[in-house]
Amino acid sequence: MSIELLALVLIAAGAAFFVVGTIGLLRFPDTLCRLHALTKADGLGLGLTCLGVALLVGSVGEMLRILLIWGLVAVSSAVSGHLIAGHVLRSNAPVRGR
Amino acid sequence: MNQYADRLSATPQPLLERPASRPVQFPLGVHGQGAGHGLPARLTREADLPGIVVDAHPPRRVRRHIARAGFSLAVLAGLWVALTGGTAQGWMIGGPAILAATALIFLYPAPPRWRLSPVGALRFGPWFALRLLLGALDVARRALGRRPRLAPGCRVFRTRLPEGAPRLLFANVITLLPGTLTAGLHDELLLIHMLDTDADLEAQLRPLEARVAALFRLRTVPPHLALENTP
Repeated sequence: MSIELLALVLIAAGAAFFVVGTIGLLRFPDTLCRLHALTKADGLGLGLTCLGVALLVGSVGEMLRILLIWGLVAVSSAVSGHLIAGHVLRSNAPVRGR
Repeated sequence: MNQYADRLSATPQPLLERPASRPVQFPLGVHGQGAGHGLPARLTREADLPGIVVDAHPPRRVRRHIARAGFSLAVLAGLWVALTGGTAQGWMIGGPAILAATALIFLYPAPPRWRLSPVGALRFGPWFALRLLLGALDVARRALGRRPRLAPGCRVFRTRLPEGAPRLLFANVITLLPGTLTAGLHDELLLIHMLDTDADLEAQLRPLEARVAALFRLRTVPPHLALENTP
């Protein structure tokens, strides 16, 4: 029971960080600042969600699989953020405080 | 070895001309420092060897390629099984994807070898998790403020980490730290985009650099980089 409650709190917190990341995406002034919001807030949001789900599944194998998924998403989000930032700087897109 | 003796004495030896304080950086793929046969280390590089010796090398290179392909196939297949459970139908997609990914690896030069320190990893994990949390809270604070508090801009940071896995991990972790994002990576120079350019970038990234170095068991900073250590 208490484990389920903890999982629920973690998943809710994860969802909250996704919402905050999206608010940042909408409110930040340029592409580079928006990338900050997505890479960091969504990365933690997914991490908390995965943690919560991992608490709910029964087997260790499933837990490791969920953690593996989080790791792969974290790496791909950092790498794609890097690629988008590089493209923005090479293009003529407006960037604040260059 | 005797038949090359005249060549050796005629070859300039840049190794001995360097100042003693600057250790020679050996090119990739050189094992040992010319140990055993009394040759200067510089001369064991493939390019410096007489043609007949170079010709003897391809089989070893082929073996290295096979080992690299095999390692890639094993890791990717392991990931695929872990993610999908390894059902027969799944392999119809996974098999070609793994083969294509392994082929792609050969478009890039083989990265320098690296090894992880278990103690470094144990220290790095919790520290990184805390930074991830702080980074997300920092973004949340700025995103939810009445007016987003931002003073964005780009800064250049010179890392002392060697190229390959340590430098790549460093660049990717920077992106997940509070207020910093790697926007470009050119050799030892990283272009860092900051949400707040008033923050002290040096104070933020040097500890991370040290932790990445500890994670990869890099005990000392390469001296040739430590000398020209930038502000």
